Amino acid sequence: MFAIMPVFLTLLAKLIHVYFCFLPESKLSIALDINSTCAKVAFFIISKSMNSPTPHFVPSRLGIYEPIHQIGIWGENFKRNGNPNTSTSVIVEVDNKLENESETTSHEMLAPSNNYEQEASKPIDKIQRRLAQNREAARKSRLRKKAYVQQLENSRLKLIQLEQELQRARQQGLYMGGVLEGSHIGFSGTVNSGIAAFEMEYGRWVDVQHRQICELRTALNAHISDIELRILVESGMGHYFELFRMKSTVAKADVFYVISGVWKTSAERFFSWIGGFRPSELLKVLVPQLDPLTEQQILEVCNLKQSCQQAEDALSQGMEKLQETVSSTVAGGPVDEVSYIPQVATAMEKLEALVSFVNQADHLRQETLQQMSRILTTRQAARGLLALGEYFHRLRALSTLWATRPPEPSLP
Amino acid sequence: MQQAIPYKSWPLPCIDATSHRARSTTTLGHNGRGKDVLNIVSENAVIVLARKGCCMSHVVRRLLLTLGVNPAVHEIDEEDEAGVLNELGTICKGTESNKMVQLPAVFIGGRLFGGLDKVMATHISGDLIPVLKDAGALWL
Repeated sequence: MFAIMPVFLTLLAKLIHVYFCFLPESKLSIALDINSTCAKVAFFIISKSMNSPTPHFVPSRLGIYEPIHQIGIWGENFKRNGNPNTSTSVIVEVDNKLENESETTSHEMLAPSNNYEQEASKPIDKIQRRLAQNREAARKSRLRKKAYVQQLENSRLKLIQLEQELQRARQQGLYMGGVLEGSHIGFSGTVNSGIAAFEMEYGRWVDVQHRQICELRTALNAHISDIELRILVESGMGHYFELFRMKSTVAKADVFYVISGVWKTSAERFFSWIGGFRPSELLKVLVPQLDPLTEQQILEVCNLKQSCQQAEDALSQGMEKLQETVSSTVAGGPVDEVSYIPQVATAMEKLEALVSFVNQADHLRQETLQQMSRILTTRQAARGLLALGEYFHRLRALSTLWATRPPEPSLP
Repeated sequence: MQQAIPYKSWPLPCIDATSHRARSTTTLGHNGRGKDVLNIVSENAVIVLARKGCCMSHVVRRLLLTLGVNPAVHEIDEEDEAGVLNELGTICKGTESNKMVQLPAVFIGGRLFGGLDKVMATHISGDLIPVLKDAGALWL
């Protein structure tokens, strides 16, 4: 690139000389002056390019561009405009720029020279400005993007929180729908706290249950003594009784909550009977795991199955009767009358029996478990508890699997 | 399934005219007092005292019927309830716990047996049928 410069300049000098021959006398002196200064200029440029070592050019890109651009402009101007006037003005412009001479008085020369000055400096300035603007714009764009991403992250977190809250509120809200609207704000608060407390406790209960199952499994495989096993069996049984107590407490707060089974996983809920598992179902799950049983045991288990079934049927029929009673109470009275408060109020009283049903059902479950533990040996009881706990654990796993199943492809 | 034979039918002057139920259900009018209750209880092998329209008494009744027992059911009006319970309390003071009799209350063999809880528990443990047999409510 810099090798071209001397060639350019010699060519330039020649051309200047040629053109000056055509200049009027008056401007000749100026032209001569210009000629000399041009030589200086040329020298200057070359010296500038020579003196400044290459590294100096690298950091300041504008520095490199300046002389090149100027010369390039010269070249361009020479190529494009064969006009002597313009060429001289170019020279003049360079002169002005580098030597700071402003002796040209000729307006004719001045005006175009000013333009070119601007044009020549304009590109340089323009480039500088454009680059600066680019940098600025890029920086602003990066900042904006950063802010946007930050906002997105925050929104995402908030959304997750809201979804969780909604889930919880929906579960509670569904079962508070039974309470007469608007009139039980305080009551709702207590119900809510009762339910919230139960949910927390139940979560812990499930964790403890899981731990107990693992302990039972290891104990049975390790063949520990019967006395130690008995302790595990007792604590396992006690754990279930604890659940019944918890349910009794929350049933007083909101019996519909308990009966709905919303506190259990979906697969468990499928088997729900008056707010929990059916004792007869329990026995069906347990008994195959208890082999071998003595003849006496088989007989007793058989009797237990039958008694269980009978008790369950009696309770189910009682529930049906309660449904009929509530239904007829709510539906009673003339429908053309606007007021239904008496019917609804009476129905409310009847619904209180539901709490008794939940308690009786849990009581039946408890009695069934206790009778089983009486019939079985310690080891069998341990196996039974393990089987029962494992069954519920698998039901919960089934629920999770179901919940996370891939969505079905939409049919056309 | 064995035929359910009522131990004794209880003819009352104030039997509900609209009653169409086969089993003997007695309803005490406002003249009813604890004494009558005591009489009723001792007269029947198995009798269930319950509030009117109580669903739990229905449960007890159904369970006993499944076992082949036809229990007498005595429905107590709301206003009589307190009085009757008091009477029962004095009757049963010597037997079991001191707490008030809960309705529905089951009497077997003229003695207070207990509530639904007790009936269920006894049945699961397999002791109910022997008790009923002893009281003569069940025949093999």
